[in-house]
Amino acid sequence: MENRLKEEAGKLLKEGKVDYIVGYGKGSVKFRTSPLITNKEEELENLVINPFIANNLSRYPIELKARVGIVVKGCDSRSLISLIQDKKVNREDVVILGVPCEGVVDIKKIEKHIGKDIDQIEEIKREGENLTIQANGSNQTLSFKDAIFDKCLGCEYPTPLEYDVLLGTEISPKPDMEKSLMRIKELENMDATDRWSYWREEFSKCIRCYGCKNVCPACFCERCFIDVNIPQWVNTYATWQDNLVFQLIRTLHVAGRCSDCGECERACPVGIPLRSLQRKMVEEVKDLFDYEAGVDKDALPVFTHYEDTDPEEFIK
Amino acid sequence: MEETKWEPKVVGFLCHWCSYAGADLSGSARLEYPHNIRIIRIPCSGRVDPMFILRALQNGVDGVIVSGCHPGDCHYQSGNFHARRKFAVIRRLLDYVGIEPERVQFSWVAASEGPKMAQVINEFVEGVRKVGPNRLFKDERRDGE
Repeated sequence: MENRLKEEAGKLLKEGKVDYIVGYGKGSVKFRTSPLITNKEEELENLVINPFIANNLSRYPIELKARVGIVVKGCDSRSLISLIQDKKVNREDVVILGVPCEGVVDIKKIEKHIGKDIDQIEEIKREGENLTIQANGSNQTLSFKDAIFDKCLGCEYPTPLEYDVLLGTEISPKPDMEKSLMRIKELENMDATDRWSYWREEFSKCIRCYGCKNVCPACFCERCFIDVNIPQWVNTYATWQDNLVFQLIRTLHVAGRCSDCGECERACPVGIPLRSLQRKMVEEVKDLFDYEAGVDKDALPVFTHYEDTDPEEFIK
Repeated sequence: MEETKWEPKVVGFLCHWCSYAGADLSGSARLEYPHNIRIIRIPCSGRVDPMFILRALQNGVDGVIVSGCHPGDCHYQSGNFHARRKFAVIRRLLDYVGIEPERVQFSWVAASEGPKMAQVINEFVEGVRKVGPNRLFKDERRDGE
């Protein structure tokens, strides 16, 4: 797949069909990848595709404001389609290089399972349904399913929904919703007061780095409400109250656009389970309006239109 | 000093064309509704930003009621239809994070429905009274009890 990508990307640049290629390169931390954005053919050699390509790159076409050849997984394609729906990205300006994806490996999960730090892990190899992990000279095996992100367990669209070139063969989805939504179900079964204390505790950790909003492909406002100072909606310093209100409003802003790519949670340096908020809203939007973000590029975004039959039993 | 009895303080975001006029009508018809409500007039229920609701709760009001025209009656044709979609997700999110459902209410009240406005406010304030003062955003360590 990697060679095919380099070949296709090279062709795109050579023929002048795109100004930039946005893909994955080797990260500065072991195993991890980081975005590789380039307009030079010789740099395409550094493109990689492996089970660690966690980043959602679909945000870059908005920021680059140029024609872009972009590498997307199934979930990223939904973010990109969502941006096309919101007219933030022109379909004609992007050449989509689709990667069918069976799930992205969460290194934190591996660390937890084998009880070793990333620095001690020498190699991670995939063999069928298992991962062989070499750490401190000894081998351990771990089921691939136990090592991928929670969001990947419930993935319904492993093959990109929109692409110009598909680098590989289509994969049929095998979502395990129960496992993927476990944490949300646990929260739903809690008392309302316990839930409030849970979120309060979590948001006490927030340092307001805005990693969640900076990485989110659905957070595309040119001026975020957080930067507005007349009126100042949320204090700029970190108190749990303001942190929580900030995140709740962000959750509402991206509701109906969020495709559960899980980048907010992955970006969070203090480990707040943000996906439990965002994914919950994905479920709610589906339940209320029978709408899924980023599935149909010609569909209207859910909050830009309405139906006469929208639910209103909660309105007294 | 004698302890004063706690009274709920609620804020009402009422749309200019229907609910605000409805509240006005209930006043001119001399119907009684509790003084606990502080009414803020807004142009349309579609103007309601979820931030209004959350900031009001964060700043310590005990309840928030949002009221607009019945679907189909919007002065701007579709403001309340759009609002209805927003309110539905706000409602679900507030429930999910654990804000008592009695604290936030959405209603449709027309300009001619003075009695309904009085009744809605009465019932809402009673509901808020039952769940008690809003301590959601209180920080015992910082603010004391």
